[in-house]
Amino acid sequence: MNKNAEVIVIGAGVNGCAATYYLAKQGVRVIVLEGSDYIGNGGSSRNGGGVRQSGRDPRELPYAMWGIRELWPTLSEELGADVEYFQEGNLRLGKNEAHRAKLQSLADKAKAVGLDVRMISGDEAREINPYLSEEVTCASWCPTDGHANPMRTTLAFFRRARQLGAQFYTGARVAAIKTVRGQARQVVLTDGTVMEGETIIVAAGYQSRAILNTVGIDVPMVMRNSETLVTEAQPPMFWQMLGTAAADFYGHQTPHGSFVFGGTAGYDTFNKFRPDGIGVPQTTSMHPSYLCRAILGYFPALKDAKIVRAWAGWNDQCADGVPVISPIDEVPGLIAACGFSGHGFGTGPAVGKLLSQMATGQELSVNMDALRYDRFVAKDRLA
Amino acid sequence: MNELSNRFRDIGEFVPEPDDDRIICRCEEVTKGEIRQAVHDGMYTITEVRRYLRTGMGLCQGQTCGRLVKGIIAKELGVSPTELESATARAPMRPVEMEILANEKGGEEA
Amino acid sequence: MERHDLIVIGAGPAGLSAAIEAAKTGMDVVVFDENAKPGGQLFKQIHKFFGSKEHKAKVRGFRIGRELLDEANRLGVRVELNSTVMGLYTDKEVTVRQGDGVRHYKADAVIIATGASENMVTFDGWTLPGVIGAGAAQTMMNLHGIQPGKRVLMLGTGNVGLVVSFQLLQAGCEVVALVDAAPRVGGYGVHAAKVARCGVPFYLSHTIVKADGEDCVTGVTIAQVDSSFRPIAGTEKHFDVDTICLAVGLSPMSQLAKMAGCKMIESKGGTVPECDAYGETSMAGIFVAGDVSGIEEASSAMIEGRIAGISAAYALGYLTEEARDSAVQAQETALESLRQGMFAPKNRGKLLKETEEGIAVSMSLLEKGYVAEDEIERYPGVTHSARVHPVMECTQNIPCNPCQDACPKKCIKIGDNITSLPVVDPEATCIGCGMCVASCSGQAIFLVDEGYAPDCATVTMPYEFLPLPEAGDRGMALDRSGQAVCEAEVVGVKSMPAFDHTNLLTIKVPLDMAYRARFFRA
Repeated sequence: MNKNAEVIVIGAGVNGCAATYYLAKQGVRVIVLEGSDYIGNGGSSRNGGGVRQSGRDPRELPYAMWGIRELWPTLSEELGADVEYFQEGNLRLGKNEAHRAKLQSLADKAKAVGLDVRMISGDEAREINPYLSEEVTCASWCPTDGHANPMRTTLAFFRRARQLGAQFYTGARVAAIKTVRGQARQVVLTDGTVMEGETIIVAAGYQSRAILNTVGIDVPMVMRNSETLVTEAQPPMFWQMLGTAAADFYGHQTPHGSFVFGGTAGYDTFNKFRPDGIGVPQTTSMHPSYLCRAILGYFPALKDAKIVRAWAGWNDQCADGVPVISPIDEVPGLIAACGFSGHGFGTGPAVGKLLSQMATGQELSVNMDALRYDRFVAKDRLA
Repeated sequence: MNELSNRFRDIGEFVPEPDDDRIICRCEEVTKGEIRQAVHDGMYTITEVRRYLRTGMGLCQGQTCGRLVKGIIAKELGVSPTELESATARAPMRPVEMEILANEKGGEEA
Repeated sequence: MERHDLIVIGAGPAGLSAAIEAAKTGMDVVVFDENAKPGGQLFKQIHKFFGSKEHKAKVRGFRIGRELLDEANRLGVRVELNSTVMGLYTDKEVTVRQGDGVRHYKADAVIIATGASENMVTFDGWTLPGVIGAGAAQTMMNLHGIQPGKRVLMLGTGNVGLVVSFQLLQAGCEVVALVDAAPRVGGYGVHAAKVARCGVPFYLSHTIVKADGEDCVTGVTIAQVDSSFRPIAGTEKHFDVDTICLAVGLSPMSQLAKMAGCKMIESKGGTVPECDAYGETSMAGIFVAGDVSGIEEASSAMIEGRIAGISAAYALGYLTEEARDSAVQAQETALESLRQGMFAPKNRGKLLKETEEGIAVSMSLLEKGYVAEDEIERYPGVTHSARVHPVMECTQNIPCNPCQDACPKKCIKIGDNITSLPVVDPEATCIGCGMCVASCSGQAIFLVDEGYAPDCATVTMPYEFLPLPEAGDRGMALDRSGQAVCEAEVVGVKSMPAFDHTNLLTIKVPLDMAYRARFFRA
């Protein structure tokens, strides 16, 4: 077993796999340690597939927009596997005045950072998507948003990185990071194995918190349960990514024909979970019915579509809803990427590339100062 | 870490077989060759093959092909099928129309 | 949310038995089943069951189903049909699809008795319409009264393949061949023999190479296999068929247990929940019974169900520990007796050369589906006498003994060991009533009268085909291999309620055919 590499990546989700790919592509030797038995087993294989800019916090927009401009359009070609990327726009739907106000405010913030998001009427929304119910009275429209297949994307990064020589281990649960003379250097596994690298990237979802704690760094996060449904294949209907001002559902139709829908029934942060967080996240009995009601309120035409599967995943919900993507100053050689708060998939390629730049000391393509780990201060001191 | 956790373990070259174009997962029309190739691409588990190729993700949820897919992956890896964990079991156990799923009875008063 | 003491998922033999035992202790029990009819596979089983009298031997499966259902109803069990359990969530909550909506139920204990589904094998053309599971064929015939096809090839010689082949013949289909990659018949010899004597050829060490057809099956090619189960070139045989039935085993439908978080075992027989002697899984209060916990047959499923029901009653305080232990002990003794004989779990995959009595087994039976003429005389049930007497072509040790009690004159002895081969008591006098013939679930008992007339003997055989021949009908007598060996005349047809639809057909054959003629073709 090879235990030495230039970079050790903890977590084989979309961020870890993408970072590994971009590093391996430059000839960097990487070892990837995945705590579960499966590659991409956290949010990366459990999310709704949105590749969005609209609706995001302005701090995230620069790298989200950069990824959509520079990486996503050619990603399938680059990885040699179809990641099912569709850039057909995002409709965020509203049913009343309060919704309109909320959508308007989101659109205004995004426009300030240079994103093309516009408000449209219910009828205009129905011109874009004729299946919408009459209840929809307004929407925001971001034509450059889209969606992709998160499982294919994560595994395509994995596949290509592996072909380029990156060494992946699953079932490799990290007990601690150890510094050597003040530098992050060793990763100790629960079975006692020690891996050594010059740089360590922690991209392990909620588990990142405990791992970073071993070198005295804390990112304020909680685990939040998120549930998702998929239908049987339907005839092609529309390609936009969908969301709502009420946040009652989101989703899209895949090229396979199935619809993938997510949304919250209201108890996400309070659902039961296994304390280790690595087992199969449990779905709840109330969620599928709730979500079907929510969706049918917007898309009555789907009433006979059959649900074939429901699943759950854990979000690493950060205190301010925005991730930490940052080198750790006090522990040179350590980089953290966590707290993606349930919307990290779409930025996966960009974050991976930026992490590879951080790890190799290159100039970053996008300024990431707003995502630093040391931004968490008392609310009276927030800028 | 078990034996299958090292995704760099050498399982040999992918060698085409005459029945590679045979459909194994009927619901999603996935062939034996695609499954074998996925294993050589590093998908050493049923779960990953499923996520990569959609095997067992169709209407029957793998009731028909689960055992077949498991056998093919195990053979490609040179292990017994009993060493591979079956796919996660997910509700609903049978496909159900959204309109019916939306219609919860008996709990409205809650 | 509706709450019960016990939710049972699946109204098959295991589930109904579990519900009955639990309800007997006063528990409030609800059973959900996704089908329109209860009974699970039992209602498709039109054949008589093996076993002992206490365990419903010689009763047809669907009647056992009806009896279980009646008993459950009498005990106040609520059986909810057309009720698909969609998920088993934390706190023993299930969601059930009923009608045009879903309902939530909770219980203090849950018994999962969801049974199994059919395995498939692949070959070129396996996805063509016309390739079906043997269980599906059984459903079409025995529940819906539909012939699955006209000309059928059956893959698999386990009990399912053998029993369904016979039922296909009963339904008027032509079974062109029984094929198995294994070198020997997997199921009970008596099941094989009753198919073979109808003229169905057995191809052991053969497999399906391909199914022909554009839009549906029009033919099938089989070939012999080598010891590594690879087809041997040049041994191909082609049959024109419209249906290929696959009877290649079952896999437990254990997904609900897995979803509930029960610890699972990946076994050769499929993914099964780990459970203790009481049927309880790693999740306290969640039990499993029947095929879902490992494939066996309906009789053991019923006993496992009873054990799970008793155990759930104890878990909820409806039985004392002593009461549970003695009740479970009684069931385990019965289960143990069913798991004896040549087909016992411990003998799976072994080639036994001798019976418990030390008699060489019939290799012809294992390789061709019928006992050869030079082998049959070695068994204790096959004797000669100047007058009418039973000839019991029961050559394997299986746990079954109804014939012993069926004879009013005590001609037949099996003894305390339920797997012993039946022996004819030379002291007792057969009156030719035929009760033994009708009682034999394996249809392996014949009455032979070598003194019927000079140069003529009669053979009385079990006959479960329609139309029923009438006295005076002439036709051919077939031997054990299904070959026509002589002309025969029907001299008697007997049907009685006590025979439970096994008619007794008596044919007259030349004297030297008394030990060869075993079937009649009009």
